[in-house]
Amino acid sequence: MSLTIAQKIIARAAGTDAVAAGDYVTVTPDYTVMQDIYFWKNIKILERLGVPEIAHPDKVVAVLDHTPQAALGSEHVARNRESREFVRRTGFSNFFDAGRAGLRHLVMVEHGFARPGLLVFSDEPNIASIGAVGALNVPISTEVLVSMVRDSNWVRVPASVRFELTGTLPRGVWIRDLVQAICREYAGGDGLVQRCVEFGGPGLARLGLDSRQGLLAGMYHAGADTAVADVDEVALDYVRERAGSRPYEVFTADEDAAYDEVRTWDLGALEPFVTVPPRHSGVVPVSEVGGRRITQATVGSCASNRIEDLRAAAEVLRDHDIAPGVTMYVTPGSPGVYAQAAREGLVELFTERGATVLSPGCTTCWGYLGALGDGDVAVSTNQENYPGRAGSRTAEIYLASPYVVAASAVTGRITDPRELLPAEGAVHVLG
Amino acid sequence: MSSASTSAAPSPAVRRGRVWKFGDWISGDDGIVRFSELRNFGDDHDPADLARRCFAGLVPDFASRVRPGDIVVAGRGFGIPSHPPAPMALRAAGIAAAVVESTDSAFVRRSLNAGFPVAICPGITAAVEEGGELEVDFATGRVTDIDSGAVMTTKPFSPAMLEVLDSGGLVPYLERYLAGEARA
Repeated sequence: MSLTIAQKIIARAAGTDAVAAGDYVTVTPDYTVMQDIYFWKNIKILERLGVPEIAHPDKVVAVLDHTPQAALGSEHVARNRESREFVRRTGFSNFFDAGRAGLRHLVMVEHGFARPGLLVFSDEPNIASIGAVGALNVPISTEVLVSMVRDSNWVRVPASVRFELTGTLPRGVWIRDLVQAICREYAGGDGLVQRCVEFGGPGLARLGLDSRQGLLAGMYHAGADTAVADVDEVALDYVRERAGSRPYEVFTADEDAAYDEVRTWDLGALEPFVTVPPRHSGVVPVSEVGGRRITQATVGSCASNRIEDLRAAAEVLRDHDIAPGVTMYVTPGSPGVYAQAAREGLVELFTERGATVLSPGCTTCWGYLGALGDGDVAVSTNQENYPGRAGSRTAEIYLASPYVVAASAVTGRITDPRELLPAEGAVHVLG
Repeated sequence: MSSASTSAAPSPAVRRGRVWKFGDWISGDDGIVRFSELRNFGDDHDPADLARRCFAGLVPDFASRVRPGDIVVAGRGFGIPSHPPAPMALRAAGIAAAVVESTDSAFVRRSLNAGFPVAICPGITAAVEEGGELEVDFATGRVTDIDSGAVMTTKPFSPAMLEVLDSGGLVPYLERYLAGEARA
C-alpha cells in the first residue's frame, strides 16, 4: 500500500483497504460537530422532516460557540432556549452550553472526542485543528444535518501534500507566522486546493499541542480542505489524559505514499508577518506596514485562543500598557483556557494593562462582540479579513500573531514585537 | 434555448446556458453575496432578496440582466470562503451551474446542498467566451463549449451527489431518503 495519513483514516472509516485521491467513498464518521446556529437550524429542519431526535446522539457534538453571550435584542436568546428545550426533551448529552463550551475546535480535543485515526465531519474547515491529535476533519458545511438522520455520508478522498518542519521559532515569531508564510505562497493559487496538508518533522515535534492546533486551523486559508499532523508522544500523552477507554488508532503515512508535493519549512528562518486585507495572500513582513495606526487589537479565534497564545501576548504586555485610543480584546478559547489564564495571572495582567478579557466563544472574529465601525483598523489573530467580516465594510482587519497584536496594542501602530519583547523571556516551545 | 438532449425529460444533471465570466477569488461571503449585510446568520432567506443581492457588488445590474439557465464561469478560489446564502443566491438568481478553475470541497458540498451544482474544470476560463453557450453534464463530467464544440472534462458527480442534485438539494433529498425513496 502507499497511502497518506488522510487516505488511511478515510479507508478505515469506509471499511476498505485502500482508497485513491479523487475517489468518492461512503464513510461512517466517528463524530460530527456543529456550532450553535447550525444546531438550532437543523433541529428545526428535523422537526419539519418528522424526525423526533438525533439518530446517533453519541456521535454528534453541538457547541454553543457563536452566540453564548445571547446579546440583548438578538434572535439568539430565543434560539438558544429552543436548542436547550430540544436537548432536554431528547436527552442529547453532547450539547456544550455556555459555560461548558468554548470553541468547538477546542471542545473536540479537550473532551477527548478528537483522537488519532478518527474521521470527524464538521461545519467548518478551520476545525482541521483537531489534526494535531491525529483526527481528520472533513468539512461538510450544511451537510452536518445528514449525521443527525443517519450514520454515513460520502467523502471525496483528498490528495495530500507533506510539509516537514525543521528548526525552532526565533524570538518574537509565532506559529501564526508559519501559517502566513504558507498563505503567502499558496493562498493566491491552487497548490493546496482540494488537498490535505500533512505535517511532520523535528520542528513539529518541538511545538506544543496549542501551536500545532493553531497551525492546522489556518491551512484552509492557504486553500487546503483539511490538515493532519504526525502523532508523537506529546500528542499521545494529551490524548491519553482525555480519551478514557474510548478507542483510537495511530496511522502513519506509508514510505511510498503519493504526495503532490513534499517540502521542508525551517521555523528558524521565519519572521513576523502581517496579512494586509482583504485577502489571505496579502502577507508581508511586519516592517512593510509598520507604523499603520490601529484602533482595535484582538487575540482570539480558533487560530490563536489557547493558553500558549495568551502567554505570548502577555509576554509583550508584561512591561507595557495599551496605548490610548486602542481597544484590546482577549478571548480565551474555552473555560479551561480561561481558568488556566486566571491561575497564571494572565487575566489580571491583561486587565491591568487595559485589555478586556471576553468570555469564551468566537466573539470578535465574526463581530458578535467588539464589532468594528466605519474606518476602524484592527490588528487581529482572527481568521478572516474580508470587508464587513466583523462589522463595517470600511473597517480594515490586519491579521497577525499574538506577539504582533500585543506589540501593536502597546504603540497604537502596527509594530514588530521584537522591538518590545524583553531580551530574556520564557521560551514558548515545549519539549 | 433548446435542450441538447434527445430524451423527452431532460436530466437535471445536464445544465446548458449562456456564460457569465468572472475572475479569480470571487468569495462567497463578499463577492457572490455580501454576507455581512445578511446579519441574521441562520435565518431562512427570501430567495427574491438573495437574487437581487447576487453579484450586486461586482455587476450592479446583474439581477436585471441574468436569465434563467445562465452559467457562471469563474477563476481560482471561487466561493472561498462562504456561508450558506452564497449558493442559495446563485440558485435564486436563476443560474443553472458554476464551472470554476478551483474551489474548496466545502463550497462544492454547500452548493449541492442548496441544489446548486459546481464543477471544477481547470482551464475553463481560457476556453470559453463571455456570452457563449456552455453545457455541463454532471453525470458524465463532459463540459462542452457549444460554440466551438470543444469538450473539456470535470470529475463526474457520484451517484449520491446526483441524487441530491436531482432532489433539488439536501432537505428535499432527506425527505426522499426518509420516505425510503432514495437510491443512494
